[in-house]
Amino acid sequence: MTAAIRVMVVDDHPMWREGVSRDLTAAGYDVVATSGEGRQAVRIAAAARPDVVILDLQLPDVSGVEVINGLQTEVPGVRVLMLSASGEQQDVLDAMKAGATGYLLKSAAQAEFLDAVSRTAAGDTVFTPGLAGLVLGEFRRLATAPPADKSEPAPKLTERETEVLRLVAKGLSYRQIAERLVLSHRTVQNHVQNTLGKLQLHNRVELTRYAIEQGLD
Amino acid sequence: MADARNSGLEAPLWRAIAVYRIAALAYTSGLVIVYVSDYWHPVWAWPVLAVMAGWTVVTTYGYADPARRRTPLLVADQLVTMAVLTSSLYIVGADELALGTPTIAVAWHVAPVLCWAVARGRRAGITAALAMGATDLVVRAHWDQSAWTGTVLMLLAAIAVGYLMRIAQVAQERLERAVELEAATRERERLARDIHDSVLQVLALVKRRGAGLDGEAGELARLAGEQEAALRSLVAGRQTSEPVGDELDLMALLHPYAGPDVTVSGPAGAVRLPAHTARELRAAVGAALDNVTRHCGPGTKVYLFVEDEPDEVVVTVRDDGCGIATDRLAQAEAQGRLGVAQSIRGRVADLGGRVQIVSAPDQGTEVEMTVPRVPIS
Repeated sequence: MTAAIRVMVVDDHPMWREGVSRDLTAAGYDVVATSGEGRQAVRIAAAARPDVVILDLQLPDVSGVEVINGLQTEVPGVRVLMLSASGEQQDVLDAMKAGATGYLLKSAAQAEFLDAVSRTAAGDTVFTPGLAGLVLGEFRRLATAPPADKSEPAPKLTERETEVLRLVAKGLSYRQIAERLVLSHRTVQNHVQNTLGKLQLHNRVELTRYAIEQGLD
Repeated sequence: MADARNSGLEAPLWRAIAVYRIAALAYTSGLVIVYVSDYWHPVWAWPVLAVMAGWTVVTTYGYADPARRRTPLLVADQLVTMAVLTSSLYIVGADELALGTPTIAVAWHVAPVLCWAVARGRRAGITAALAMGATDLVVRAHWDQSAWTGTVLMLLAAIAVGYLMRIAQVAQERLERAVELEAATRERERLARDIHDSVLQVLALVKRRGAGLDGEAGELARLAGEQEAALRSLVAGRQTSEPVGDELDLMALLHPYAGPDVTVSGPAGAVRLPAHTARELRAAVGAALDNVTRHCGPGTKVYLFVEDEPDEVVVTVRDDGCGIATDRLAQAEAQGRLGVAQSIRGRVADLGGRVQIVSAPDQGTEVEMTVPRVPIS
């Protein structure tokens, strides 16, 4: 049997942190670290080397985006499943663009949560209908907004990707989407993952350009 | 009222009146020196000037203190000034005054009128100006244009200052209301943060821990989840939809529908539509939600999805509960019995849009409303 998946829980609420850790341990995960603060979490992660970080979007010290950036620098390839108690639209979108691989509302049922963790660990992208709506909205915004640089066009979704995201936003499960579009479950998953990949790539390009423009390179 | 008047513009106005009084005293002293040889009783001019100087000092300090800035001081001011004015009859002499020699209180006698206008508003200012003007005219006993002009100018000054005070008062009240509102908003935001950091987290935890349990524990978890969702939309929900020009944010209108069984998704930014279109769409969504409640079992999940296209807005209401056989829907619609037909199709058609209803046995019912974006000219 392979070694258990190493998970780190970052949440400023102690009760929540303990509850989640207990559930994860019971489900066979190795909870290697917990933290209630963003900066501390990044430091601990450098030593604990988790595979998956369960990250609360609202931490007392730094923003979710900063934590995600720090985690990716310290632990390249780490997967981040974001949790939030409220649907802070723009914050969620920013965190996903920064490199989180999944998002779940805190009120999700236990089974749903564990399923999301196992999918995140396996490298899948976990989308809620709300997140799909946000991502679609973001692509439409980028398509209509005047581009910062004409040589580099705004990222676009293929028709199929748009179709899949719309169905996710309407609350269909990947299985239902696969049935409806006559695709394999894996293909649906890949389409969702691609949309996020395009958004994250675009975000990195934008950040790099900004850095060059500001003379920070 | 007194409180509102003790702040803002009032203090500088009192200082300005004090400066005016001192300047007028210097001016009238100069006139006395020039004309004193023509006076009937010139000896008395000096003690009266001393009284005027003393009264200038008294009023400068008196009016500077809000506690003493009351009716007794105002009345005393008016009477002392009128007495000084009247003393001109004896000192300057009625014949000299009739010839055009200025009174001993010229210009200085306007100060109490301004005080009334600042302290008690326009009407009191006018009354004081009429009394002082009458005294001036009677004392001088000649009725040419320059005599009238002095009184009319005093009257106009009283009206202008009184009006200014009223505007300052209204502005002050508005400012106070705005400050109160801002404080209330900040308090609400602080409460929202607190609730978010504590109650919301615990409720979500209770719901999660108990979700798999049967019986009463499961029921408690479900209730906790309902409360969590209700609180969440209360706390984190977008601000109420404020009309911008003639437009409303559709997302803000639809967000109140979010709950434990209703997910609302759409772009992060506002989806602006003409106010009428937005309200009608909300009503259509409400009808679609009612329809789900009526026809499907409790606990049916509903997904509201808003798409903001350049030339149209698409709102989808999908439930994962009971798929209605398409022919049954059409049949009921043909008979005009279905709420869906009238409420949704009717409203959306009135907006120049179209409705598509997709229903499959395993995949619930999907009501897709597409409404054209009317270009804002």
